[in-house]
Amino acid sequence: MFQKILIANRGEIAVRVERACQEMGIRTVAVYSEVDRHALHVRCADEAYLIGPPPATESYLVIDKIIHAAKQSGAEAIHPGYGFLAENPLFAERCEKEKIRLIGPSAHSMRTMGSKTLARQTVQAAGVPLVPGTVEPVATEEEVLRISKQIGFPVMLKATAGGGGKGLRLVRAEEDLRSSLRMAKSEAKSAFSDDSVYIEKYIENPRHVEIQILGDRHGNYVHLCERECSIQRRHQKVIEESPSVIVTPEIRAAMGKVAIEAARAVRYEGAGTCEFLMDRDRNYYFLEMNTRLQVEHPITEMVTGVDIVKEQIRIAAGEKLTLRQEEIKQTGHAIECRVYAEDPDNNFMPCPGLITSLRTPGGPGVRDDSGVFEGFEIPIYYDPIISKLVVWGKDRPEAVARMKRALNEYVVTGVKTSIPFHIRVMNNRHFLDGDFDTNFIDKVFFREESERELPHFEVAVIAGAIQLFLDERKRAISQRGPGTGEPASMWKYAGRPGIPKIL
Amino acid sequence: MNYVATIGDREVRITVEEVGVARYLVRGDGKEYLVDAHQVQDSVWSILYGTASFEADVQRKGDEYEVLIGGDCHKFTLMNEQLKALSRAGGKAAAGKALVTSPMPGKVVKLLVNEGEEVKSDQGVIVVEAMKMENELKSAVAGKVKEIFVQEGEVVESGAKLLLVE
Repeated sequence: MFQKILIANRGEIAVRVERACQEMGIRTVAVYSEVDRHALHVRCADEAYLIGPPPATESYLVIDKIIHAAKQSGAEAIHPGYGFLAENPLFAERCEKEKIRLIGPSAHSMRTMGSKTLARQTVQAAGVPLVPGTVEPVATEEEVLRISKQIGFPVMLKATAGGGGKGLRLVRAEEDLRSSLRMAKSEAKSAFSDDSVYIEKYIENPRHVEIQILGDRHGNYVHLCERECSIQRRHQKVIEESPSVIVTPEIRAAMGKVAIEAARAVRYEGAGTCEFLMDRDRNYYFLEMNTRLQVEHPITEMVTGVDIVKEQIRIAAGEKLTLRQEEIKQTGHAIECRVYAEDPDNNFMPCPGLITSLRTPGGPGVRDDSGVFEGFEIPIYYDPIISKLVVWGKDRPEAVARMKRALNEYVVTGVKTSIPFHIRVMNNRHFLDGDFDTNFIDKVFFREESERELPHFEVAVIAGAIQLFLDERKRAISQRGPGTGEPASMWKYAGRPGIPKIL
Repeated sequence: MNYVATIGDREVRITVEEVGVARYLVRGDGKEYLVDAHQVQDSVWSILYGTASFEADVQRKGDEYEVLIGGDCHKFTLMNEQLKALSRAGGKAAAGKALVTSPMPGKVVKLLVNEGEEVKSDQGVIVVEAMKMENELKSAVAGKVKEIFVQEGEVVESGAKLLLVE
């Protein structure tokens, strides 16, 4: 086993990995940018190395600096977390070359799964169901038309090198194909300097279901069941749960098997996730494989009892998986809400800044994977995620009720957060019924919210009026000098008639 | 004290009277509320109204209030009645002039206008980046860009003056 691990990340995920290391008796090495000197992941680590200026491109993304810190500290392995260098095959290769173990898959696995067309070709050969479409980029307009007719409209044109919604065009009818193809190609050209596109059948209102897998160097694989991540805002997951309300035991077993075959096809090592789209008839189609630890991994940990980060570390150290598929069971129900520093009541505007006070939720079945503390100043340079609130319940209704009460306990002041948004989702009847798809938040939820009556408006105005009353008095005192408009002593009120007493 | 709350297009006259330590008698909309209010954690108030217990996070920016209770955000304006009467009298003076400020700390990525340029109301004038998200800020009024206070690449604080449209 490793004696020392460097964590090439920051925020909540760096803290999460440090926690696993500390519980395993492994020393932890943090890296930090100039603006992160006070950050929780630095405070919680055994050692810390400054790696440069605040922008990630000059610190957390610089391979040389990470490798240098690893060598200086004598760390035998690097955990990349998610984001930053986690899916960068160049980083994986560099680690191999420097004889530092990367806690993650090989550069080959990353590269294959990172290319959309190569990933499709590879998993298709392994018998994994794909959204009907082409595996190869499509060259001519005639060919695009022929294939589109063959798989049936609506179809999606996608940039081979795509990501982030660029070079993506939905085509509903044949007459729109020509202009959409032109636009997809030109967008792809300017965004990725590669104008090749491929075609997929467009799945209407799909749900997003993914399978967590673990694989070791010795060819052993298990899956840890599914997570449903259909609650998305602008294609970003915001709430995840496990199990999914639409996945039956038969589908679960079949999807798990397929995910393992996809992983085996690239000799995958470590923790990985196969993402699927699921249509209304519960047909599932492989979307992509994420070759890293996922943000939402804790819900799987809550229902299976498996510590995924510790498994990653054991696998990287060359150990054999001790988990057996038949022993893995989902118990109860887990939900995660991603808490972002953004203002849900002002168009989700980012809100970096000083956390002036904090009350974190507790009680049974509650887990808060946080990267912040009271007095921490959230920098402007990185992702707005500050914590992941995770709950476990014996079933979905209990988990939802628990999440709601935990969110109500969660108080963050100084910066706005997405906590109020999550409370509203937990109260939405479609969410409670499990009746949603990936378009739910953008198409249904916001419309329903705009029509909803707020039950406590009078209390809100009362609170505001009292605030203003006291603000005015404070100002009057500072203008008139002390001793004049101080609050009267309670003895003065005692004899006043007509004031009802609240006890 | 007498206040006027504006909720949507409705105005409500409200009076606040202190009737004990942390106890207030609030009247409005023909009702009376006797409340026990304590500022317990920074901007968060614990409010007992009768026996009902509420937590309210009160954010105030000038006359504009955003009060969070149980996940619901209540937006309204609140003004001292006398001040409101005064501002009505001289109300028009402020119109047609607007300072664009940064709603959050961030970095100025792009200026979309030049000094002297005519802009429409609600036109994007500057892009500020925070947390890997670019945010286009708009001019609240139509007019001419009178002055630009920042340069591209500059890091700005929350509330920083960015440009003036007149």
